[in-house]
Amino acid sequence: MLNMNKSKPRVCILRTDGTNCDQETAYAFNKSGGDSRLVHVNQLRSGAEKLADYQILAVPGGFSYGDDIHSGKVLSVELASFLNDQLRRFVDDGKLVLGICNGFQVLVRTGLLPWGELGSIQATLMQNDSGHFECRWTNLLVEQNNCVFTQGLAGTMVQYQAAHGEGKFHTNEATLQKIEQAGQVVFRYANVASGQPTQDYPQNPNGSLHAIAGICDQTGRILGLMPHPERFVETFHHPNWRRVSLGEPHGLPIFRNAVAYAAQTGAGC
Amino acid sequence: MAIQEVRVQTMPYLEDVKGKYLLHEIQNTLHITSITELVTAKVYRLEGISAQQAEFLARHLLAEEVFQIYKVNEAIIKNADKLVEVAYKPGVMNPEAGSILKAAADLGIPEMVAADSSYEYGLYGTLTDAETELILTRLLVNETVERVVTEKPATLIIKGQPGGTRVIPIRNMNDAALLDLSKDNLFLNLEEMQAIQNYFAALDRDPTDCEIETLAQTWSEHCGHKTFKATVMIDGQAKEPFYQRLRESTNQTAHPLVLSAFEDNSGVIDFYDGLALCGKVETHNSPSAIEPYGGAMTGSGGVFRDILGTGKSAKVIASTDMFCFAPPDLPDSEVPPGCLHPHYLLRRVVDGVRDYGNRMGIPTNNGSVHFHRDFRAKPSVIVGAYGLMPAADAGKGQPVNGDLAVTIGGRTGRDGIHGATFSSGEMTSRTMDVNASAVQIGHAIEEKRISDALLRARDEELIQAITDCGAGGFASAFGEMGEDTGVRIYLDRAPLKYQGLAPWEIWVSESQERMALAVAPEHMERLAAICREHNVEVTVIGEFTGTGKLELFYYDEMVGELTMEFLHHGLPKRIMTAVPHEHSVQVSEPGLPCDWEQVCTQVMQHLNVCSKEPIVRMYDHGVQGSSALPPFAGVAGDAPNDAVVIAPVPGQKYGVMIAHGLNPVLNSLNPYAGSIWAATEAVSNAVASGANPDELVLIDNFIWPYPDEASLYDLDRAVDACVDFVTATGMPFISGKDSLSSTYRALDGSVLKIPPVLCISCFGRVADVTQTISTDFKRPGSIIALIGRRNVQQMGGSAYFDVTGAASPRVPLIDPAQLITTLRSLYQANRSDSVLACHDISEGGLLAALAEMCLGGEMGAAVNLPANERADYSLFNETAGCFLVELADQAQSEELFKDVPHIILGHTTAEPNISVTQANNNIFNISTAKLFTAWQKPMQEVFGGC
Repeated sequence: MLNMNKSKPRVCILRTDGTNCDQETAYAFNKSGGDSRLVHVNQLRSGAEKLADYQILAVPGGFSYGDDIHSGKVLSVELASFLNDQLRRFVDDGKLVLGICNGFQVLVRTGLLPWGELGSIQATLMQNDSGHFECRWTNLLVEQNNCVFTQGLAGTMVQYQAAHGEGKFHTNEATLQKIEQAGQVVFRYANVASGQPTQDYPQNPNGSLHAIAGICDQTGRILGLMPHPERFVETFHHPNWRRVSLGEPHGLPIFRNAVAYAAQTGAGC
Repeated sequence: MAIQEVRVQTMPYLEDVKGKYLLHEIQNTLHITSITELVTAKVYRLEGISAQQAEFLARHLLAEEVFQIYKVNEAIIKNADKLVEVAYKPGVMNPEAGSILKAAADLGIPEMVAADSSYEYGLYGTLTDAETELILTRLLVNETVERVVTEKPATLIIKGQPGGTRVIPIRNMNDAALLDLSKDNLFLNLEEMQAIQNYFAALDRDPTDCEIETLAQTWSEHCGHKTFKATVMIDGQAKEPFYQRLRESTNQTAHPLVLSAFEDNSGVIDFYDGLALCGKVETHNSPSAIEPYGGAMTGSGGVFRDILGTGKSAKVIASTDMFCFAPPDLPDSEVPPGCLHPHYLLRRVVDGVRDYGNRMGIPTNNGSVHFHRDFRAKPSVIVGAYGLMPAADAGKGQPVNGDLAVTIGGRTGRDGIHGATFSSGEMTSRTMDVNASAVQIGHAIEEKRISDALLRARDEELIQAITDCGAGGFASAFGEMGEDTGVRIYLDRAPLKYQGLAPWEIWVSESQERMALAVAPEHMERLAAICREHNVEVTVIGEFTGTGKLELFYYDEMVGELTMEFLHHGLPKRIMTAVPHEHSVQVSEPGLPCDWEQVCTQVMQHLNVCSKEPIVRMYDHGVQGSSALPPFAGVAGDAPNDAVVIAPVPGQKYGVMIAHGLNPVLNSLNPYAGSIWAATEAVSNAVASGANPDELVLIDNFIWPYPDEASLYDLDRAVDACVDFVTATGMPFISGKDSLSSTYRALDGSVLKIPPVLCISCFGRVADVTQTISTDFKRPGSIIALIGRRNVQQMGGSAYFDVTGAASPRVPLIDPAQLITTLRSLYQANRSDSVLACHDISEGGLLAALAEMCLGGEMGAAVNLPANERADYSLFNETAGCFLVELADQAQSEELFKDVPHIILGHTTAEPNISVTQANNNIFNISTAKLFTAWQKPMQEVFGGC
């Protein structure tokens, strides 16, 4: 399908059983100039929808297939089994992929993160150190790197709500070093006063290694993070908008950067 | 067929988080110190595949080598002193099984025919058998749904021969035989059993089990609300039924926003832009008492389906939870036989609400927990849900002759049979054994995909009528939908979880996650396509007719035939007698405190005052991206707000306000005043947060002891209070529910009445969410004003009297007519931008409210108490409908509140202290840090830090 409206990149918001942050993620993209469509994985499997018709793929939060076995695992297996080629081409075409919360878990479990290697699991998101699901606002330090989604935010602190039970980023030492050296860490949980990355609970809500809250692949075009930028795209989404002025809602730049990049590159469609 | 076993464990050098917390709990809650270590493993059983295939699945699906190890057909915990495996009982659906089968098929192994998962626990240390038993019964196994696995099962497939349909020879039964038939299963009284006997005597035949069961479901207290529809006799005078009084008061308000009250599965009001809001609050006490996790889950699932089953279907946009338990530190010896310990109940109920709401993606953002010793036999578990839909779809649908009777969602199993009748009975020490089948584990993802499919079907106008399969299952759902037409159901067509169900079991099964629809035949194909796309099963099991009858078939055999007239109108009308009685309380007033700091911290850590943040943190209150006022906020995010505000339509500033109030202690002391208090608290929470009192509506939940003459009188007073509140304030009830089984009968015949609970929920629309108010103090030097009328001598039922061992029947008496004036005045003030913060006064009184406002702002306050009030009473009186308001200057207070009772209490300070004076004499000065520590302590001890 041709993209008739070049100024509005098409965003595929991938849904399946148990996806539940799809509508707010779609809204965040639309508010930022995107043209979102909610696409059920069955529509991709049946061929009724094709990833090639989109410029951005977003895997939203939720509990895909109940997070049975591992969080995001059953959807990851499904994507790797049936949509491997479409995904491979989507990534190779230089298009953007965003995974939030359950979507991040899916990107890691498909192997798209950290190195865009479908079928190869190099890292994981384990159960929180607290042992349970937790919903709280977190303070995140944005690292300087080539991540498309965070251009212009490097060095700043943003506040997003985290809401997950399995968000502890974990991998082996070698992989961790490689991710760090390649500058793939995008967000770290940080102490609000010092601005420094922290392992202290609850500022680091899950015990993630190196306080990692989000990473991208080496191209900067695939981003996954546990906290929810789509939950802070209106001023009143923040719990303390009545007492502090936070400027532009902190989640918006993520979506705006993605849409702007897709519009500029016009990749693929 | 062969079963392969895969065991998965976290790598030994990484922390086993599940094991760590269980160990902590065993050592600290069960006080078993002989245990030194606990490790866990997950066990998967996979039937119908080879060992090589199991190895493949272990590697690609079940274990991740980044952090786990696995073994196939081999032990993984090898050196534990005790090894215990805990699994769901056969027949209890494990929600994970379906995902394992799906993923295996996606990986190219479709041969798997069944799967199960369970946990293994390796216990280390010199545990005695008695200690192991305690760990199992208190922490690891709920025998209602779980069992200890002692040997590998031969098969995971449940087989069975369906039982036939029995004829019950009711015509020959004497009264004793009728009652015997009713006992433990039907829960009908003699008069009702005789009505059934007479109906079949006139037909010259005996009923089938399907027919008897249908009548028992429809006529149960749970479904039929017999007490609320009964004429009440007091002192020889007949009073109108409760239900009628509540409805009439609603009608008299002629509230312009109300679209549907007491007609549908939830009450509906007008919203903005052609949209409507609906609300429903349910109780799930009996199931939660015997299996708290499954009971709370199915409670959430049920109330969400009430929203899905309102009008032509609504989207669930918020959930609330209100609980009453015995104190979590109750000595084991005080837990009645057949009941579970409140510490376990509380945690497992929270887990259940969490796992259902979070997975469905419903923000659970308003709630409370109340504690009283007398909830030790049965907790109150109240779950609410709110929904959004086009106003054009808000009317209740009616099937027409020829519509198809359709079921969508989960399959039908033996689970939940007799749930409706069970909920209507008293709890006894036998309840856990006899009614085990009444509880099951909810499957939130099933309900989520049903919701996704239904909302699409609604938008494509495919739904003629819809209702949920809740208590009473198909019997209630199709029986009600077909009331005006008639319906014919073919029970053999219902998809089953496993074979072996008798026709009557299919008919009354309360398997969760099912909805009943009426669909015009021409829309069926499209509906089926939508359901396919969403992985939802949909089946036509009958049709609506014009016969005025309920007709049940099992293949060619007619297994039931009842007229809708008898089914819905044959229940004998009850006349019930209520006898006035006094609630005698010995007056004992405390002396003025010698140690103010001690008293203040005791009140702050009172279970009914303390912070419930650890619970709220486990609920996803931000999903759907709609939050505009969260349950907790302030500088550090740990100060409570009074209500919740959401903006459910992306990009729009209009919103929904949700709040509630309840006070079982006051209801016990004075049912009338306690009920007024509950309603006042609910609406005060909303108005403190910026709601317009003229755009709020109410929902009632009466959770009452079995209505003997005394309890019925109390209930009568509570209903009258509700009606008086509506009449005075103009805020109508639009939905409600009664659960009249809060009575426990012990083996020796002694009776424990659980405290009566009237929970009032309220919700309404807000024109602009950016004009709503939070509780945290915004800046030092502001004026603190106290708004509202109170008589501080009315201390009965307060946390202060509880901690000082005092008692009094003088509870807060609130005048609803005066209240509405205060609320309207406060609403206008809140709109003026002059109000920086506002918090209503409730449990813990002025001091607790003030402390919470200081906590939110990380500052302090200096207050001067009125000279004519006892200082302690002034600080700890709990009259609802009073507010602390933060204002920039004193002149504003005079201007904004000139028509209502108000005083200037003091001002905010930068130093984090609360200093209290009276007539300018210093009374005490306390650091807010001390108060916060005390306030946060109790729930941190139960749930761990947060």
